[in-house]
Amino acid sequence: MDPKFIQGVLYLVFIIFLTFILYGYIIHLYRSEKKGEKDYEKYGKLALDDELTSKPVEGIEEENKKESK
Amino acid sequence: MFSWLEKNPFFFAVGVFIVIAFAGLVEIVPDFAQQSRPVAGAKPYDLLKLAGRNVYIKDSCNACHSQLIRPFKSETDRYGMYSLNGEYAYDRPFLWGSKRTGPDLHRVGNYRTSDWHANHMWDPISVVPGSIMPAYKHMFTNETDLETAYAEAVTVKKVFNVPYDKDIDGDGKIDVPLGSFEEAKERALKEALKVAEETKREDLVQMVKSGKIPEIVALIAYLNGLK
Amino acid sequence: MQNPAIEYDYTVAKWFSYLAILFGIIGMGVGVWIAFELAFPELNYVAGEYTLFSRLRPLHTNAVAFGFTLSGIFATWYYVGQRVLKVSMAESKFLMAVGKLHFWLYFITILLAVVTLLTRYTTSKEYAQLEWPIDILVVIWWVLWGISIFGLIGIRREKTLYISLWYYIATFLGVAMLYLFNNMEVPTYFVAGMGDIMHSVSMYAGTNDAMVQWWYGHNAVAFVFTVPIIAMIYYYLPKESGQPVYSYKLSLLSFWGLMFVYLWAGGHHLIYSTVPDWMQTMGSVFSVILILPSWGSALNMLLTMKGEWGQLKENPLIKFMVLASTFYMLSTLEGPIQSIKSVNALAHFTDWIPGHVHDGTLGWVGFMIIAAIMHMAPRFYKREIYSKKLLEMQFWLQTTGIVLYFSSMWIAGITQGMMWRAVDQYGNLAYSFIDTVTVLHPYYTLRGIGGLFYFIGLFMWAYNFYKTMTAAKQIEKEPAFATPMAG
Repeated sequence: MDPKFIQGVLYLVFIIFLTFILYGYIIHLYRSEKKGEKDYEKYGKLALDDELTSKPVEGIEEENKKESK
Repeated sequence: MFSWLEKNPFFFAVGVFIVIAFAGLVEIVPDFAQQSRPVAGAKPYDLLKLAGRNVYIKDSCNACHSQLIRPFKSETDRYGMYSLNGEYAYDRPFLWGSKRTGPDLHRVGNYRTSDWHANHMWDPISVVPGSIMPAYKHMFTNETDLETAYAEAVTVKKVFNVPYDKDIDGDGKIDVPLGSFEEAKERALKEALKVAEETKREDLVQMVKSGKIPEIVALIAYLNGLK
Repeated sequence: MQNPAIEYDYTVAKWFSYLAILFGIIGMGVGVWIAFELAFPELNYVAGEYTLFSRLRPLHTNAVAFGFTLSGIFATWYYVGQRVLKVSMAESKFLMAVGKLHFWLYFITILLAVVTLLTRYTTSKEYAQLEWPIDILVVIWWVLWGISIFGLIGIRREKTLYISLWYYIATFLGVAMLYLFNNMEVPTYFVAGMGDIMHSVSMYAGTNDAMVQWWYGHNAVAFVFTVPIIAMIYYYLPKESGQPVYSYKLSLLSFWGLMFVYLWAGGHHLIYSTVPDWMQTMGSVFSVILILPSWGSALNMLLTMKGEWGQLKENPLIKFMVLASTFYMLSTLEGPIQSIKSVNALAHFTDWIPGHVHDGTLGWVGFMIIAAIMHMAPRFYKREIYSKKLLEMQFWLQTTGIVLYFSSMWIAGITQGMMWRAVDQYGNLAYSFIDTVTVLHPYYTLRGIGGLFYFIGLFMWAYNFYKTMTAAKQIEKEPAFATPMAG
């Protein structure tokens, strides 16, 4: 088969694949927030509460504790 | 999947890398071999021209002059035939430039002479009234670094198979001889003397006769070869 | 559990801030000088061959891109990195040593770059002029910076990486890849055993070299002038205004969009050249698509100020940052327009291109770095900013400078492009090349004046910083949000 043709098909498949990933990501961002699994907007606080003494938004230690339970 | 990636710095970095490396692979790799094929008649630079090209680079002539004629009538009328891919096969690095503060030089050898260049580089305004190009007088006294140019020629010959000492067009004669440094230097001096005489400047001729090639002579030899 | 004695350690951030100011003044000073050389060529001869335009132009671009901008990027990294990860550099002797070594090697490299460029050592590839021994130095401190990034991440207290860190990581990876591939060169001395030891020859020839160079050149702009500056604004604007990012989700989406699309756009530097046609088209198309993620970030920044626009009037730092994102929007719209083939045919090789570059660098990069360093200064020295009035004056002076710069270059570029292609009634070219040069004199003069305004602003900045460091009123506690300023 003409390699140009194969190239064309691959290109099209790839574009469709990327479009899926992109929309998948957008949907993921909004759905996980709606379902309450994850609150992305709270990460905005990372820049504001950034003292050494302020409580981490998601601390490494807490996270580890959760996993060990 | 996504939130996992956001919390694992290592895999996150790998992901970012794949995303940014992707475009380069798709754009640059496929045509790489084809782009480096020379057009018929293209020849590597001889020692003097290569040394002149290095002078061109050393003083960053490419900051103001392009070497790329685009396929428009207004450009071909002004500068000559538009540029072809294979003409650049021996250009390491390429010297297309990105800004025309001065005119394009890709075919300057077709319409300028050695004495024009010498006068122009000595005092641009006397040749082109209103020019904003500065004079490059230090090129008239600096000696050309032939040894570095020779080292470059040997390097590209060895590493990239650039056809020095070879019969390129199949007429049974060696097209661009290089040989040992002494041989190459002698050839360059002979060529330089011709250029120096064309410039009609006695100081340049004397310098070449004493075995030293001024940078300007090498540069003019290079510019004359741009056709 | 936490040791109250530990504080954030700003040593390295301070050092890099000094360098940003120093190289800003040097790099832009040279820029102003060569701008006036184009209007008044006699200036070329002030210091013999060392002030020729062609000698100084690479020095200008390198000093500003790799001296000023990189210093700004590193200064902010050594500040922001600690804060959003909630870990101090003082907690790790190793990272502290890496940071200091990074600084000194970087400083030496940039000094060597200045010396070698003035003494004619150059590879001629734009923004990659430095010869191979310096390239090796660059690689070493770049790796050190990587160790510093990932080392600090390794000991962090905050699990999630804030969006700014994403951009710093991308900067690190992107520049590493681009710089390595574009600077592939063979030192000739080691093959031939003679000649200048500094000399090298590119691994790629002709059209290939051009493709690799502009893949690099365009994306050096991406990963030095865009990505890390976005990293800065995502931290400093929310912090200074006390407002969280308008939409964190949008910032994530724009990040991936920018990463994917940016690298394709390099082809727009090669339109109507001898590279394959499909690549030129690809460069053009992706450049237009690039508007989306760029405006995504920029709008996100502007919307962060929603309901708080009063701060724009009161706080000069907010002024700097809001104008920076506005210039970012302007130049990311202008760039794609110039990438459209028919526009590019006119704009390429003219002064419109440097005009475009300077919208971005003076307006977006320069303003953001100035604002970031002035935000940090009171926190470095526990003093107020010495003079709000001076900062305000600097803002207006520099803004005027930028406007003069880009408006004169727009006119100059389009004038020149039109004159190059103009024909008389018989179809012959209407102008000789020199006609298209002399006509630019007033615009070159105007551009020089614009640059001079910006340059004077830099001295006001340096003075204000110095006074803040030494003489301003002391503050007891690190300010949470808005930076305190005296009259």
